[in-house]
Amino acid sequence: MLEAIMALSVLAGLCGLLLGFAAVRFRVEGNPVADQIDALLPQTQCGQCGYPGCRPYAQAIADGEADINQCPPGGATGVQALAELLGREPKPLNPENGVEKPKQVAVIDETTCIGCTLCIQACPVDAILGAAKLMHTVIAQECTGCELCLPPCPVDCISLVDVRDKVETWRWPYPGAPIGAATRRVSSPSVAA
Amino acid sequence: MRIEVAYARPDTQIVIPLEVSDGTTLAQAIVTSRLLDRFPDIDLNVTKVGVFGKLSQLDAPLREGDRVEIYRPLLADPKAVRKQRAVKNKPMKQKGTDGECGE
Repeated sequence: MLEAIMALSVLAGLCGLLLGFAAVRFRVEGNPVADQIDALLPQTQCGQCGYPGCRPYAQAIADGEADINQCPPGGATGVQALAELLGREPKPLNPENGVEKPKQVAVIDETTCIGCTLCIQACPVDAILGAAKLMHTVIAQECTGCELCLPPCPVDCISLVDVRDKVETWRWPYPGAPIGAATRRVSSPSVAA
Repeated sequence: MRIEVAYARPDTQIVIPLEVSDGTTLAQAIVTSRLLDRFPDIDLNVTKVGVFGKLSQLDAPLREGDRVEIYRPLLADPKAVRKQRAVKNKPMKQKGTDGECGE
């Protein structure tokens, strides 16, 4: 009897030590799921999902507060990727958050810019170079096309233009989107006919 | 420390990442970036420079993560643009009761 109690308590003590060691040694900083979700988001920091940026939205998905279909820049492909990561059913984009658009960048009309810096303060990714009473210029490669600079401009000198693929920027499209696009393209004439 | 030197025109925008020693000034960073070789028409004596949208001096020291920016002057006269807008918006304002935000 005493032997059995002793053996079990020694075993329990050893297991406790092992768990305690593991908790310290293999400690995970932050939530790895949120990191993985954040890596799939487009990093436009546009706030269309209702959160102040991509990272807070990723955290909200990980915590179960937000749904996976609130990111218009990510589009159907993004929802698909999130669904695969989280093992959920993909669903169409929530229209309340906006519609999927082709990638755009902001362009400043230099003849009307008055150098007010309001767009610089609004830009979430520091893509506008300029200072007070000096020319503001959008750094195209850093602009995410989030449209947050449009409302503050007092002279309406910012417009968004579609980004056309160049030889340097063209990439193989992600799987999923082109198939959907292709079937849509194939199916629409048949519907029309 | 890591910094960037940036210059932007409508057709080309250049951001050069640099690794510099502590206490480097804006002028030293711009020289190190060799940006002036590519744009010989920039005259640092006339051109205004700054860090992240705030005007600064060429001899000011930089901090980790700063983006040194070389600016260009405005093309439009802010007063003239505002006047034009005022003229354009006048009928709208008269239509509204008396607030600025007639829309």
